Amino acid sequence: MNLQAPPARYRVAERAEETHDTVTLRLEPIDQPISPHRPGQFTMLYAFGAGEVPISISGEPDGSGLLQTIRSVGAVTRALCQAGRGQVIGVRGPFGTGWGVADAAGQDVLVVAGGIGLAPLRAALLEALAARDRYRRVIVLIGARTPGELVFADQIGGWRGRGAEVHITVDRAVAGWTGHVGVVTQLIDRAGMDPAATLALICGPEVMMRLTARALGDRGIAADRIRISLERNMRCGTAECGHCQLGPLLLCRDGPVVSYERAAPLLSVKEL
Amino acid sequence: MTAPAGFAEHGFLRGMPAESVALLAGTAAAVSFPAGRPLFDEGAPARNCWLLTAGQVALFLRAPGTEDLIVETLGRDDVIGFSWLSPPHEWQFSAETIEATEAFELDGATVMALCDHHPDLGFQLTLRMLGAAVRRLQATRIRLLDLYGTPGPRAGTR
Repeated sequence: MNLQAPPARYRVAERAEETHDTVTLRLEPIDQPISPHRPGQFTMLYAFGAGEVPISISGEPDGSGLLQTIRSVGAVTRALCQAGRGQVIGVRGPFGTGWGVADAAGQDVLVVAGGIGLAPLRAALLEALAARDRYRRVIVLIGARTPGELVFADQIGGWRGRGAEVHITVDRAVAGWTGHVGVVTQLIDRAGMDPAATLALICGPEVMMRLTARALGDRGIAADRIRISLERNMRCGTAECGHCQLGPLLLCRDGPVVSYERAAPLLSVKEL
Repeated sequence: MTAPAGFAEHGFLRGMPAESVALLAGTAAAVSFPAGRPLFDEGAPARNCWLLTAGQVALFLRAPGTEDLIVETLGRDDVIGFSWLSPPHEWQFSAETIEATEAFELDGATVMALCDHHPDLGFQLTLRMLGAAVRRLQATRIRLLDLYGTPGPRAGTR
């Protein structure tokens, strides 16, 4: 039985180039809009004539329109990245689990992003900043390949102004860069944290998430207080097709956000 | 000699027996540098190391016709300066502060002489220098993977 709903049509209202290969689209509904999302969830975006791909939602649930940040890595994402204002895109979702930022109420929120992994975390960060008084520290550690490949670079000052402590590192510096150079895990000690009262949210390349989660564990953060965002070959979004299976998990339903306690045993199994 | 304030609390010395810390403290001097101050230059004799307490230092290579190539930046609780430990005792990179920086400066020859007379200190120091080197090596290996640059095979035709 196929429970998939047809995609809702959305129109590209705005297109912002984040880096040379990454754009953020603001989509406005033409048809009945999809249900409100929770930060961390994803949609299936349909570039008509090219195909459908899972894309993290980078905007706030109550923001104006649907914000999706897309990196061009293949035919479908290239078509989406090239979509101009007015172009119609199909949207299904939202699917999957959210970051659950509210679980950190009264505690510190630690956001660790690698590359375009900042996109789904942006939604969680904005949720925390919108209710800044509910949390103690809001710490954001960002790793990027180069300063030019840092997404949302123009927004970081605003996040700091709203009470986030943002630390950035790049793998390779360029002229004029006066920030940190090194891997994102090296920022953990710079930022300092209270391991007993921190909820850590991590998104980036899988190896980066694994290494970061391990580094946080070494510093005393329990695995069930570390959440990562996993991606596999999401297709149906409704846990029917099995393409996104990772061991016992169907990531379109049980993920993308999964506690590290649950994910850790799965992440080093080559056969998965 | 009196230990500089805060010396025993430096992250590099965490867990070191008090006697060893006291020996080392006698050789340490609290120093501060403004932003843009060179700490050492590639090829020059390597005589010191610094336990950073504040600020930021860039480790880099100079190359003709191009900007300095920054290898890594180091800050609070990091140690900078390994070349005094092993031949040819010359700096392999250059270093310059990129923020106002504070540190404890250790003189390599004095520390070596102390370690000759106090093997326990030598062992403790070796453990920590090795630990710092291992962490740097691991971080370098991760960067070699270029994690952010190459979408994984799952990207496929997406």
